[in-house]
Amino acid sequence: MTVVASCVGVLLLFAWFTPSKALYFHIGETEKKCFIEEIPDETMVIGKYRTQLWDKQTGSFLPATPGLGMHVEIKDPDTKVILSRQYGSDGRFTFTSHTPGEHQICLHSNSTKMALFAGGKLRVHLDIQVGEHTNNYPEIAAKDKLTELQLRVRQLLDQVEQIQKEQNYQRYREERFRMTSESTNQRVLWWSIAQTVILIITAIWQMRHLKSFFEAKKLV
Amino acid sequence: MAAVVKQAFVWMSFVAVMASFNQNRDSELTFLLPAGAAECFFQTAQRNGTLEVEYQVIAGAGMDVDFSIFSPQGFQLISEFRRSDGVHMLESTEYGDYRICFDNSFSRFSEKMVFFEIILESAANDDGPNDEWAGLADPENLLEYKLEDIRESIDSVHRQLERSRQMQTVLRAFEARDRNLLEDNLWRVSFWSCACLVVMVMVAITQVYTVRRLFDDRRRVRS
Repeated sequence: MTVVASCVGVLLLFAWFTPSKALYFHIGETEKKCFIEEIPDETMVIGKYRTQLWDKQTGSFLPATPGLGMHVEIKDPDTKVILSRQYGSDGRFTFTSHTPGEHQICLHSNSTKMALFAGGKLRVHLDIQVGEHTNNYPEIAAKDKLTELQLRVRQLLDQVEQIQKEQNYQRYREERFRMTSESTNQRVLWWSIAQTVILIITAIWQMRHLKSFFEAKKLV
Repeated sequence: MAAVVKQAFVWMSFVAVMASFNQNRDSELTFLLPAGAAECFFQTAQRNGTLEVEYQVIAGAGMDVDFSIFSPQGFQLISEFRRSDGVHMLESTEYGDYRICFDNSFSRFSEKMVFFEIILESAANDDGPNDEWAGLADPENLLEYKLEDIRESIDSVHRQLERSRQMQTVLRAFEARDRNLLEDNLWRVSFWSCACLVVMVMVAITQVYTVRRLFDDRRRVRS
C-alpha cells in the first residue's frame, strides 16, 4: 500500500515539474514589470504566477526558495491602488473591477539579497484570466448540481454574457472617443479664428504705434 | 494508513493546482515598453501545433516597434522592423519555448504600450471541456448517442464564441490605439496653438522695439 502510494506520489511529483504552458518572462532583481488590463466593470480577474530561479549547479531553472516572494500592486483606472500585497514564490491574486477602464497590474520581487540573484534573473510564469475564464466550472456544477450538458450550456451563457458586457463597454468608449474628437475639432476651429484676429490686431497696433512714433520724432 | 492517504491527498491537490495552471492555451497581455528597451516573452508550444501571435502598438509617439520570434533552438523565425501591428501564424515544428521579442531601442524618448495575444492550437483536436468534466454527473444513458451530437454542437459553439472573444480583444486594441492617438493630438493642438500665439506677440513687440531703438540711436548720433 505504501509502495503504491509512494509510486503515485513520485509520478505526481513529475507532473508538478512538467513545464507549464503559460507564458513566462525574466525579471531582474529590482525590476518592476507592469501589465495593463482594459476591462468592463464588475469583471473578475484572477492572476496566477509561478517563479523559478536559475541554479548554477544543475544549470537549469528550479522552483524558487520560499523566502523569495513577489509584491503585487494593482491600480484602478483612476490610479488608486486597489491591491498591494506580498505573495510567496507561487501566488494567486484576484480582484473585481468596479469601474470600467485600464487597470494596471505590477509585479516586482521582494528580494533584498543581491547574492540570491547571482545567476542573473528570475523566471516568472504568469497567467491572467479575465471574466468568464475565471469561473471554476466543476465547482459550479457541484454547487448547482448540474449535469454535464447543463454545465456546458451554462458555460456558453457565461461566454455570451461576457461578450455582451464588452460590447456595452465598447459602446461607452466609442461615445467618449467621439466627444473627444468633436472637442478637438472645435478647439482647432476656435484657435485658428483667435489667432487670425490677434494677428490682425497686432498688425494694426504695430502700424499705428510706429506712425505715432515717427510723427513724434518729426520724421513724417 | 491515514498518513499515506493524507500524503496522497496533498500530492493530488498540488497536481490539481498545476493542472488548472496548465489548461491555459491563450494569453493576452498589454504592457509598457520603456524607451530604448527590449522585452521578451517565452511560450511553450507542442510539436505539430500552431502558434498564432498578434500584436499592436496602442500608444507611443511613433506607434511602432521591432518584432521578432525565435525558435527554441535560437533561429530567428520572424523579424519585422518598426511595424505598428502584425499577425503571424507559425507551425511549431518542435517542442520547446518560443521567444517573442519586442524591441524599442530605436526610440530614445518615447515609451510604447504594446498589446499582444498568443493563441495556441495543438494538432490533437482541442479536447476542450470534454475530458475535464467527464464523469462529473450521471450521464443520461438512454439518450447517449443523441447526446453526442448535442455535445459536439455545443463544443463547436464554444469554440466559435472563444474566437469572437478574441476578435473583440483585437478590435478593442485598435480602438484603444485610435483613442490614445487622438488624445495625443488634442494635447498637441492645444500646446502648439498657445506657443504660436506667444511667439506671434513676442515677435510683434520685438519688431516695434527694434525699430524704435534704431531711430533713437540715429538721433543721438546726429546730435
